[in-house]
Amino acid sequence: MTNPLHLTEEERHMAADGSMGPEDLVVAQRHLRSCAECSADVERIRGLLDRVGQSAPSPVSTSDVNELWPAIRARIEQQKVVAMPGSAPVPARRRAIRPWGFAFGGTAAAAIAFLLFARRNEAPTVATDAVAVADSGGGAALIAVVDSTRAFEQEAQALLNHFELQRATMRPELARAFEHDLRVIDVAIAELEGAIASDPTNPALRRLLASSYRQKVDLLKRVDNAS
Amino acid sequence: MSTPLLRVSQVASLSLDDADDIVRRAQAGDVSAFESLYRAHAGHVLTLCRRMLRDDAEAGEATQDVFVRVWERLTTFRGQSAFGTWLHRLAVNVVLERLRKTRRDADRLIAGDEDMFGARSQTDDADTVMDVETALRSLPEGARSVFVLHDMEGYSHEEIAQMTGIAAGTARAQLCRARRALMKLLSA
Repeated sequence: MTNPLHLTEEERHMAADGSMGPEDLVVAQRHLRSCAECSADVERIRGLLDRVGQSAPSPVSTSDVNELWPAIRARIEQQKVVAMPGSAPVPARRRAIRPWGFAFGGTAAAAIAFLLFARRNEAPTVATDAVAVADSGGGAALIAVVDSTRAFEQEAQALLNHFELQRATMRPELARAFEHDLRVIDVAIAELEGAIASDPTNPALRRLLASSYRQKVDLLKRVDNAS
Repeated sequence: MSTPLLRVSQVASLSLDDADDIVRRAQAGDVSAFESLYRAHAGHVLTLCRRMLRDDAEAGEATQDVFVRVWERLTTFRGQSAFGTWLHRLAVNVVLERLRKTRRDADRLIAGDEDMFGARSQTDDADTVMDVETALRSLPEGARSVFVLHDMEGYSHEEIAQMTGIAAGTARAQLCRARRALMKLLSA
């Protein structure tokens, strides 16, 4: 209490919203019992807080929610690059892991083949369910993709080192399943790197490579969680 | 095969294990699972954005930004808190970033606009009593943010200080002024 005559502005608010410490509260309550001015003011603040607490926010309609989703979906699909339906493996369940690897390998191989075919036919942009639209040759975008690939690659290597340490304590069938999926992804990465070697400025291939490393990181993180 | 989309009421009635499973599927890249999360939480996020940003169109854009950010950061969610709590905190950060970018000056955002305290906009009818949501929109952004975060969303002054980059004492002072302005607006 800095003011022996009246509560300060802050003290009145703290007394009203209950955030005052116990010792200060005893002193404040003693003052409030004898000071009509402060007491009335604290009651007014409490009245505001009650009113705010009782006020319902402006209703959010289903149409508001529906309207926003397509734009959100479009933005996340752009980042996702490789769509993998059914890619929801639950850690430590082998049957959920294996199809993921096959789906990834198949999708990546199909995407590479399609990209190379489209490039040969000089298609201006490539857009399928599996491949995000490439930027229109922006150098900055390409650099950003290369940087993110490096970051994912480094993270994957660190997680891989950790996996090597954990493998001894993992159930053998689980370790084999993860190793199989890792091989599938590594094959896809090798194919993509081969394709990039012959077409180094193709941004869609670069994005696929970044996405492949990201999938590898995600898989290794799941290994980490499962063990 | 993608996950069938769940309605909001279905998501709300899910057990914790089921809700965790939806989060895990979304983390693994399942957009349908992510859409279920979006539909379960979009209402709260949109309400928060509308309260903190004066303009409904901007609130819609901010809500989009929030869920895109949630998608980007999903793999960092480790389940140490409830998903809704994690998402809410992320939403607050996205809105505050947006406010900073708009004003290009965090100090002005928090401390400025003295003349705007308790001022009615020209479109308000001076004879009608405002509701809380309308009155809130009359506050300057800094005070409104602190008021919404403290009195409506339940964050402490220390948490607000951490999120906004202002001192806890400044947040307390802003809150007092925001409440006074609201009392004036609501009793007029």
